[in-house]
Amino acid sequence: MIQEPAPQAAEEHGVDIGELLLHHTADAYELDFEPLFTAHWDPHLLEFHVGPMLINLTPTKHVVFMVLAAVLVFLTMYLAGRALERQRAGERAPRGLANAIEGIALWVRKDIAIDNIGLDGAKFAPYIMSVFFFILYCNLLGLVPWGASPTGNLAVTAALAILSLVIIEVSGMLKLGFRGYMRTIFPTVPGIEGGGAAVLSVALGPIEFLGKLVKPFALAVRLFGNMTAGHFVILALFGMIFLFGNLGVFSWAIGVGSAALVLAIMLLELIVAFVQAYVFTLITAVLIGVMQHEH
Amino acid sequence: MLTLFAVLQEHAETAEGGLPATFQVNPGLIIWTWVVFLSLFWLLRKYAFPPIVRLTEEREKKIGKQLQEAEKANAEAQAALAEHRKLLEGSKVEAQALLSEAKTLAQKEREQLLDKTRDDQKDLLDRAKREIAAERDRAVTELRKEAVDLSLAAAAKLIQERLDSDQDRKIVEGYLETLESDRA
Repeated sequence: MIQEPAPQAAEEHGVDIGELLLHHTADAYELDFEPLFTAHWDPHLLEFHVGPMLINLTPTKHVVFMVLAAVLVFLTMYLAGRALERQRAGERAPRGLANAIEGIALWVRKDIAIDNIGLDGAKFAPYIMSVFFFILYCNLLGLVPWGASPTGNLAVTAALAILSLVIIEVSGMLKLGFRGYMRTIFPTVPGIEGGGAAVLSVALGPIEFLGKLVKPFALAVRLFGNMTAGHFVILALFGMIFLFGNLGVFSWAIGVGSAALVLAIMLLELIVAFVQAYVFTLITAVLIGVMQHEH
Repeated sequence: MLTLFAVLQEHAETAEGGLPATFQVNPGLIIWTWVVFLSLFWLLRKYAFPPIVRLTEEREKKIGKQLQEAEKANAEAQAALAEHRKLLEGSKVEAQALLSEAKTLAQKEREQLLDKTRDDQKDLLDRAKREIAAERDRAVTELRKEAVDLSLAAAAKLIQERLDSDQDRKIVEGYLETLESDRA
C-alpha cells in the first residue's frame, strides 16, 4: 500500500516517509511534543521475568495516553453525573453538556447493552458503557495534535478483546451451568440421535472452540486495523508534502492539496472513531447476549 | 494465558527487525491496559454511573408512574361517564314507562267509568219500563174490575127490569168480551 521511497530519495530530501509512518504509529518510550518538549526514558525501567518470559512494564507513550483517556472519561462522567444530580435536585429538566453525555451514556446502556443482551442487560451495562467511552476517547486522542491513539496498538486492543472474551465465557458459564456451557462447545445437532449425534458433537467441538476465540480476535484486529490505517492515510498524505515539496513553483499547491485531503480524512476519522467504539461494544454485547440465551 | 504471553513474547523477539514496531505486541502493554481499564471501570461504576443511571431510572420510573396514574384517572373518568350515561338512559326509560303506565291507567279508568254509566242508564231504563208495565197492568186490572162493576150495575139495572132473559146476559157478556179484546 505505502511505497517506501528509494533509499537515495530519502537521503536527498532527508525524510523517509515509510520510516516516518511507522515511527508515528508505533509505541515508544518517549513523549514527543516538539517543539514544546520531548521526553525520553529508559526502556528497561520495570522489567519482570515470569518463568520463561520477560514482561516489560515500563510505561510507554501509549500507556501515557491510555491513562489520559481514562482520566478524561472519568472526569466527563463524574462531572456529568454531578451536574445531573444538581439539576435534578432543583427539579429542573436536564440540559447542557451533562444532558448530552447522559444521552450518549444511556443510549449505550439501552440500545447497545440491554437491547442486545436482554433481561440481564442492566447487569452488564456498566462494563459495556466503560468499554465504549474508553475506546472512544482512545480513538479521539489520536486525532488531537501531538496525540496518539492507544487503540492503534495491537496489545491494547488484544487486552480489551481478551477481557471481553473472559466476560462472555464466564457469564455464559454462570448462566448456563457447566453442562449447558459444555453444550456450547459440543452442540447437540437437532434431528440426529444415538452414536451419530455423539460423533457429530465431538467433531464440531474444535470448530466451536475456535469460533469462541476467533470472535474476540476479530474484535482486536478490527479496532487496531481501523485506527492504524487512518493514521497511515493521514501521515501518507502529509508525506506527499515532503516528497513533492521541491517542485519549485507548484510547491504551495502540493501543500494546500495535501492539507485539504488531510482535513477530509480527519473528518472521516472522527466518524470512524465513533463507529469503531460502537462496533466493538455492540459485538461484545451481542456475543454476551448469544451466550446468555444459548440452550 | 501464560503460554499465550510466552508465544507473543517469542514472536516479538523473533520479529525484531522483521515486523515493524507498529505490528508488534508488547505483553507489558496488555497488562497496563487491563490495569488502566479495570481501574477506570471500577471508578466509573462506583462514582460516575450511579448518578447518571439511577437518576434517569428514577425519572423514568416517576414519569412512568405519572403516566400510569393519568391512564387510571382517565379510565375512571370514562367509567363514570359511562355510568352516568347508563343512569340517564335508565331514568329516561323509567319515565317513559311511568308515563305509558299512567296513560293506560287513565284509559282503563275512563272505560270503566263509561261502562258503569252505561249500565246505570240501562238499569234506570229497565226499571222505568218495568214500573210502566206494572202500572199499566194495575190500571188494566182496575179498569176491568170497574168494568165488571159497571156491567154488574148495568146488569142489576137490567135485571131489575127483566131478570129472566138468558138472552140478555149473553149479550152483556158478549159486550164485555168485545171491550176486552178492544183494549188488548
